[in-house]
Amino acid sequence: MVQIQDDYETKLGQTTGWTGIPTHYCPGCEHGILTRLIGLTLEEMGLLKKAVMVDSVGCSVLAYDYFNCDHIQAPHGRAPAVMAGVKRTHPELIVFTIQGDGDALAIGLLETVYAAIRGEPITVFLYNNSIYGMTGGQMAPTTMPGQITTTTPYGREVESTGNPIDIMKILSPIERVSYLRRGILVPQPVKAKHGLMYQVKNILDAKRIIENAFKVQQKGGYSLVEFLGTCNVNWKMTIEESKHYPFDQTIKQYPPGVFRDRFGIEGKIL
Amino acid sequence: MTVAQHRSKDTVSPQETQDGRPKALVLVVPELCKGCELCVYACPSGNLVLSHSLNKKGYHPAIFSYEGTQGPCTACGICYWVCPDLAIWEVRRLKK
Amino acid sequence: MTERVLMKGNEALAYGSLNAGLNAYFAYPITPSTETPETLAREYGNPNYPNFRVFLQAASELEAVNMTLGAACTGALAMTATSSPGFSLKQEAISYAAGMEVPFVVINVNRGGPGLGNLGAEQSDYFQTVKGGGHGGYQLIVLAPNSVQEMFDLPRTAFDLAFKYRNPVIILADAFLGQLKEDIHAVPPGNGLTRDTSWATLGSENGTRHILNSLHLDPDDQENHERHLHEKYEKMRDEVASETFLTDDAEIVLVSYGIASRISKNAVSLARDQGLRLGLLRPITLNPFPYDLVRILAGQGKKLLVVELNAGQMVQDVRLAADGTGRVEHLGRLGGNVPSTKQILAKAKEMMD
Repeated sequence: MVQIQDDYETKLGQTTGWTGIPTHYCPGCEHGILTRLIGLTLEEMGLLKKAVMVDSVGCSVLAYDYFNCDHIQAPHGRAPAVMAGVKRTHPELIVFTIQGDGDALAIGLLETVYAAIRGEPITVFLYNNSIYGMTGGQMAPTTMPGQITTTTPYGREVESTGNPIDIMKILSPIERVSYLRRGILVPQPVKAKHGLMYQVKNILDAKRIIENAFKVQQKGGYSLVEFLGTCNVNWKMTIEESKHYPFDQTIKQYPPGVFRDRFGIEGKIL
Repeated sequence: MTVAQHRSKDTVSPQETQDGRPKALVLVVPELCKGCELCVYACPSGNLVLSHSLNKKGYHPAIFSYEGTQGPCTACGICYWVCPDLAIWEVRRLKK
Repeated sequence: MTERVLMKGNEALAYGSLNAGLNAYFAYPITPSTETPETLAREYGNPNYPNFRVFLQAASELEAVNMTLGAACTGALAMTATSSPGFSLKQEAISYAAGMEVPFVVINVNRGGPGLGNLGAEQSDYFQTVKGGGHGGYQLIVLAPNSVQEMFDLPRTAFDLAFKYRNPVIILADAFLGQLKEDIHAVPPGNGLTRDTSWATLGSENGTRHILNSLHLDPDDQENHERHLHEKYEKMRDEVASETFLTDDAEIVLVSYGIASRISKNAVSLARDQGLRLGLLRPITLNPFPYDLVRILAGQGKKLLVVELNAGQMVQDVRLAADGTGRVEHLGRLGGNVPSTKQILAKAKEMMD
């Protein structure tokens, strides 16, 4: 039995941004990683006490149990409008939300686009896993052609349902948008000499992206950060298989990168 | 890597420790772990493996041993970043 | 010192809200309510209304009401106005606000329906507004003005009640009232509303988190929450308000609200001139509804004639209250048509036999 004492210093520890309540997310789901990253970032930036999270309808609906700040529940797709209402009456608050691909890009597409058009100083984290997770695996606006979901059991047909939409292409020409960034929350599978290994560079990059997004809000700008994630349960894959899919398939349709950076927060003004 | 292949956590190589203490520690909270095995594969030195026993939720939680299959723990923190359940509670290292 | 001003109904709603200390208005235009946001757009920045900090036109009725919801969550006095088709769109957010116990004010200027209907005055949104048009078992306080003066006065009452009960409040007007111009006593703006906002999401500075949500996955939690809401709605019954006119010795009592009640009142006066004993009961709160008053009148053997601009909605509540003890009839016009006093008298005479 090892004695844990003052001899040891904590290199990486818990964050006050998380309430400590165990999450309901499926094993392996990157929503949990996002919880740690946002919690840490808000704590480090000293924003927790001023933060108001708007809980969207999707797998993150129970976020009021996890993030240690104020919360407002929004109807499906309406988070950007609710955030605008909060921010315009109380600009000193930091408002953010985690939306799924359906919440932001289907039912909430108008709210998403108009908040960007107005340049509302809010922060949207979009968790893109190409499927509707909470409701059991239906087609999403970001579902790939040919992808099997419960409402496209024979594969998504673009002739009937259209092509997957790329919100970066829709929002990047908008004048008052300040920061559009796509990152990947998925640990990258690599072949090591002893077998399978995961690299976490994407996750560390994601933390920096989250910090940038909040900085942009502090500067008064609109940011939308899209993170590619997995959904092994609804993709009907093992956790390991699901980690390959974004790197093999999803990034062809949704390449990571900086799509807009009005303040040059990542170095170059875009 | 299976549970059986992993070395017992009681053996600690004397050259890797300071006065017999491990240089680095990873605290895993078994009740938070969902047995996704991301940390098991992500760890570069093989210090984590799923336990034989079950936690209250019915998962095999990850357990840490300082001496891994590829070497001792270096407190790199990769397990911490990859854990989706915040079950990797802390990564500690011996103060100099 | 009050001014006497000639004003349009929809404008009076705007000025009344400003006087009450309106903080935020989220707009979407729809006939016949558009003058309200237009007036507020003009008055935005007027130093007489320092509380009026936010005016924004949204891209849809949904966006407008959800912005109102967000602003209200911070304890701000937030409002949006619309008309029937827009009111249908807002139901989801109103249901959420009721479940989350967030106070805001929505104005519905009832027009012809269903569907696109027309731009005339109807009272066909009674069921939707009063019985709760969104999903779930909730209740709203519904205030029904019948004059431009009341359009000016009731927004303050609406905000008072909304914050007192932490519940959305609806002002149900109609197209006729929205467009009507009357001279009113315009009280100068006050200091705004003092209210309790300890529940609002203004940050967790002192360590207490504020969580405004309506999701309770555990059946017991949800049941307890709904019971709590219904206890609140019981208490809300204290706010019932109505006006009576010559009901004491009336043989037939007209029951009417909004613009229909103006015509009904004239009909009562005309009837009295002819020796007919008519009276008027005008609910000012449609919810809570003056059931007790109706029960008393019916119990006195009076007949009740419900005059409303629909095919029979409030008459159901009147029948419920009368509980078989009185004779309840209905007179309605639709599509923007209104009954004439002659029509009302004819019906009343019919009922007297």
